[in-house]
Amino acid sequence: MTGAVAIEQAAVTFRDRAGRRVQALAPISLDLAPGSFTAIIGPSGCGKSTLLNAVAGFVPLTGGRILVDGVPVTGPTPEIGVVFQQYALFPWFTARGNVEFALRRFPMAAAARRAAAMAALEEVGLADRAHAYPGQLSGGMRQRVALARTLAARPRVLLMDEPFGALDAQTRLAMQELLLRVWEHRRTTVLFITHDIDEALVLSDVVQVMSSAPGRFIDRIDVTRPRPRSVEQVDAGYLAHRTRMLRLLRHS
Amino acid sequence: MAGVKLLRGAASLGAVLLLWSLAGHFALINTDLVPTPEMVWSAGVELYHDGLLLSDLAISARRAAVGFTLGAGLGVGCGLLTARIRWIGHALHPILNLLRPIPAIALVPLAIVWFGIGEPSKTFVISYTVFLAVWLNTDHGASHVAQTYVRASRSLGAGQWREFFAVILPACAPHIVSGLRLGAALAFLSLVAAELTGASAGIGYRIQEARQFLRTDRMFVGLVELGVLGALLDAGFVQISRRLVHWDQA
Repeated sequence: MTGAVAIEQAAVTFRDRAGRRVQALAPISLDLAPGSFTAIIGPSGCGKSTLLNAVAGFVPLTGGRILVDGVPVTGPTPEIGVVFQQYALFPWFTARGNVEFALRRFPMAAAARRAAAMAALEEVGLADRAHAYPGQLSGGMRQRVALARTLAARPRVLLMDEPFGALDAQTRLAMQELLLRVWEHRRTTVLFITHDIDEALVLSDVVQVMSSAPGRFIDRIDVTRPRPRSVEQVDAGYLAHRTRMLRLLRHS
Repeated sequence: MAGVKLLRGAASLGAVLLLWSLAGHFALINTDLVPTPEMVWSAGVELYHDGLLLSDLAISARRAAVGFTLGAGLGVGCGLLTARIRWIGHALHPILNLLRPIPAIALVPLAIVWFGIGEPSKTFVISYTVFLAVWLNTDHGASHVAQTYVRASRSLGAGQWREFFAVILPACAPHIVSGLRLGAALAFLSLVAAELTGASAGIGYRIQEARQFLRTDRMFVGLVELGVLGALLDAGFVQISRRLVHWDQA
């Protein structure tokens, strides 16, 4: 099984406009097991998004290293897929065109690519909007297209940076349900950044709680609730985890 | 809706023409200086029968088109290079920013010295003006492509060429198109500047020629021609750009 991520003392510093050194990510270590779903939750400015950008290869490390299946990350690669908070769909392509963009990394005939794109949109329930442009889709629909596009590139690791943060509560629940269904079927290694305790507990196998300044992991919660899961199930264990995390985040 | 708009436009124009005409008839204005609409119309008919109206129009339109095409092509190409290739940007930005504020009309005498009063000097002045406007817009658009587009493209496995043609180019297309629209308007401006000073045909030349005979009616014909041609061109541009940049900008 592929998709093992090893983050070893990864650190990011950059210089701001005035030339001062700013530490965006203090040295941090984390291992993601292949096929696992890990959420990172923490206050704004703790460096969780910087960590995700470093794993994605968008931001160069200034210390430590990040390995995916033993190979150091040196830049963006289709092996590591990203779902952005602001969707990042290309507004000049249709929903299908956006998915086909991801499929172009595979050598295939145009007809096969079109069929594969339609299948990917089918998986997120948007086959009937294949010809719509992102500007004609709602926020939830855009994020479904973005998920289909990212998964179409068949990444070994899927990074999600507060992907449902901009959605209203109802749409957010529907998206979580969809993500659970798609993910439980595919089992790609996921690193999921969120502000939302419930979202973290519903989706993940492991929740890592981060503190700010310095950004480090202060707790790890293993969520053993069996899968397939639903966003509506809540049990005693869930509530206990929830209380514990609330307390941690309040004091961090 | 479109019909109402058209009607309203016609009514506004009609009212202006009527007031203008009445002012002439009641000798509120000196018709030697400001001819009435009827006088302008008959001057236009006269020019048409002389064959000058259409030939001037054709010559001016051709000059504008040639200069625009040349300037716009160079502007888009150069803008993409200065925005996306760092050392080219560093090399060309200072000089282009220095050239930018020089009004095209100031270049006309120099162009005549360099190229004579034939077509090349006009093409030079027009394409130069268009080039700067299109370059500036293209450069701005191509250097401000949203970071997430580029990141998404790279993490989806697109190479440099695909990133350029499928992401960068469409992302800055709205800027390029608005640069082209501005360039088209400027092409007209510098066309007239070039024709006023050194030409033997064209709308600008005809206005200048009419001045020597104090034919203000003919001068007005030229002004109307320029107004109508410019408005049509701009309307055409809006239509084309709507098709070219058809997606929602959000």
